[in-house]
Amino acid sequence: MRSTFHSLETSKRALFTQQAALQTTGHNIANANTAGYSRQTVNMQATRPIEAVGMTHSTAPGQLGTGVEFTSITRIRESFLDSQYRSNSQDQGKWSIQADTLQKLEAIFNEPNETGIRTLVDKYWKSWSDLAQDPENITGRKILRENTLALVDAINLSSKQLVNLEQDLTSNLDVKATQINTMLENVSKLNKEISRISAYGDNPNDLKDQRDLLVDQLSKIVNITVTDTDQGYEINMGGTNLVAGQDYNPVDSAGLQGAYGTDLNSGEVYGMITSRDVYVRDYQRQLDTLANSLANGQFTVTIPAGSVLPDGITLNGVTYNGASRTLSTPLTVPVNGINELHTMGYTLQNPPTAGVPFFVSSNGGPITAATIRLNSIIADSPDAIATSMRTIGTPEKVVPGNNTLALLMANLKDTKMNFVSPDGSTPVIGNGTIDDYYRSVIGQLGVQSQDAKRQISNQDAILAQVDSRRQSVSGVSLDEEMSNLIKFQHAYNAAARVMTSVDELLDKVINGMGVVGR
Amino acid sequence: MTIRVTSGMIHNQLIRNLNNNYNRMSATQEQIETGRKINRASDDPVGITYALRYRSELSMNDQYQRNITTATSSVDHVDTVLNQINELLQRAKELAVRGISDSSSKEAREAIGKELDGIFKQAVTLGNDQVNGKYTFNGQLTTTQPYDTTTAGTTDTDEASILLPLAPGVEIQTNISGNSVFGASTDADNVFTVFKELRDAMNSNDSNAARSAMERLDTRFNTFLGIRSEVGARANRIEMLDNRNQDLNQSLNGLIAKTEDTDIAQAIMNLQRDENVYQASLSVGSKIIQPSLVDYLR
Repeated sequence: MRSTFHSLETSKRALFTQQAALQTTGHNIANANTAGYSRQTVNMQATRPIEAVGMTHSTAPGQLGTGVEFTSITRIRESFLDSQYRSNSQDQGKWSIQADTLQKLEAIFNEPNETGIRTLVDKYWKSWSDLAQDPENITGRKILRENTLALVDAINLSSKQLVNLEQDLTSNLDVKATQINTMLENVSKLNKEISRISAYGDNPNDLKDQRDLLVDQLSKIVNITVTDTDQGYEINMGGTNLVAGQDYNPVDSAGLQGAYGTDLNSGEVYGMITSRDVYVRDYQRQLDTLANSLANGQFTVTIPAGSVLPDGITLNGVTYNGASRTLSTPLTVPVNGINELHTMGYTLQNPPTAGVPFFVSSNGGPITAATIRLNSIIADSPDAIATSMRTIGTPEKVVPGNNTLALLMANLKDTKMNFVSPDGSTPVIGNGTIDDYYRSVIGQLGVQSQDAKRQISNQDAILAQVDSRRQSVSGVSLDEEMSNLIKFQHAYNAAARVMTSVDELLDKVINGMGVVGR
Repeated sequence: MTIRVTSGMIHNQLIRNLNNNYNRMSATQEQIETGRKINRASDDPVGITYALRYRSELSMNDQYQRNITTATSSVDHVDTVLNQINELLQRAKELAVRGISDSSSKEAREAIGKELDGIFKQAVTLGNDQVNGKYTFNGQLTTTQPYDTTTAGTTDTDEASILLPLAPGVEIQTNISGNSVFGASTDADNVFTVFKELRDAMNSNDSNAARSAMERLDTRFNTFLGIRSEVGARANRIEMLDNRNQDLNQSLNGLIAKTEDTDIAQAIMNLQRDENVYQASLSVGSKIIQPSLVDYLR
């Protein structure tokens, strides 16, 4: 036997439930542009039908419906797409940092350009050639000095920029570690909150969205795997546990660098360490090799007959002094760089003075891109540039019109040499001209940067596609919400109408009945 | 099941596409603005290695061109001086012929002797010729005066050559030594010695001595003509190198243009196309983004 007011209760339930649906629709619309938000639906279910209460089973047919209730509000999300998104996001993070670094490297080398190192190297050779035209003249020496200063300045500056880039990347690692820790802490807090609410049987949808968004962001920074456990998300980076339930294990930049190549194998942090240790340091090394080889690279020269070697010089194991110093036949000897070649000739000064090493290191150590300088003796007095390889008379005097050394220097542009890196490691190419070497550096940089650009554009496209599929499932469609709004509103209206009709019905029963003859 | 499309997806896609279009447009624009299709190494890693080499070669060619200019002016100058020496030798020859003639009187010979003395001094002056403060005929001892009037016939000049690189691996001598032009101190036909002897013979009215000196003047003249033609040949060779260098310059410029330069016509066409696509995507975007059911439900 049903109650008189049964229908009122049924209508009330309908009103409440449709209102909840309307409210959720409003929530969806409100969050249409919220990052990481997944649309929510109210799951409705017919309430338990009435079994007539009584001593005996009612003979009334069927079971009487009692209306509607909502059992849960759930978010619509596909975890498979989440894991796909995250595994692509880490590669995207890695390549975006690497592409960015390579672009910065391109900007540092800045080729092709009229003020780049290549142009300055050219000017340096040209100055020697100019000097050969007029070796007696001081003007050519001053021009050579200025062009050499410009060249070493450019090499020093590039080296400094590389060091700055390396330092930036290192300090960014600290920033990223802090960022990771904040995220880990938040995920662990959300884990706690989510499990607390879930214990009541409720769905903390919005908190879960926030947690997933955090994990999405984290996946761009480091490679992570996420497991949904009873305690919440467990997050691992390779074999390193980052979050377990309500606890998290903070990272630091030293730990991340220690995990590089093992547990850490993708993401922005990986890209940063690769950028620094593989790219930036490699170009620093190559630039060092260029600088050192300019000063000390090994090559062979032929000194023409008639040249007079400086007293006491040892070439190829033979020490020249006295009369043996004047070469009767051309002498072909291996030479260690411009520095040694420069000591084989004479400056303009009298009595004959052999040249000093052309380039020096600013700190007395090996010559690197950072330390290469023009010898201050030459910088202070361009007379100290050696161009002549001949002396005459007693007392000996330099023949200023002899341009042998200047010619040998100018010819080095086309001379193949053995490159020597200051730290003793093997240079990328062993034998070539300075120009060849520099070109190979730029070519390598171009290929790497082009590759990184291609990778990043691929990863962007893949990530966009996965994200699009995710949006397709979880994203809020305003059209859909609007039609839902109408649907729920109509249901609400209709339920209200039912209540009105029950009201009238009861009015009839209460106020209109049993008044016959009154 | 058909894929569910949400406004967020459309929005993201639109932004992505607009971004791509914009990037492409900016790349084309950069090519037009700089006039170069290689603006950084990654634009064309292979191309840039060629571009850098062509630029280096062009720059070095420029240097060779300067060296050629210097060499040309040196050789031209030497030629001018040799021409003057040629005139002196010819004049001396004329005077000698006249002087040895039996019909010449003592006075006439003395007059010839005077002129020959002038010629001798002029020869010494030419032997000490300088360009840019450098002595032309003293080999590499460009700062040392080779001759003076008292010792001219007994001094030797420096024989060393001054070389200039005029092409890769090609070095050309730009000077010529006094010894080869005027004769070494040991040569019997040393110009200065011969001129002096001739002068002295004329002054002392000794036609036999004058005849002997004149014979040596003849051998010197022949040697001298050989030297002149050598200088002429050298000038020709430099001129050839000059032409070749200019041709090379032109072809290098062509190669650089081909490797590095933007094909402006094509780039502008591309830019136009990119602009059209961009405009179209903007206008389509504005149509897609705006309306939703919200706009129609009242």
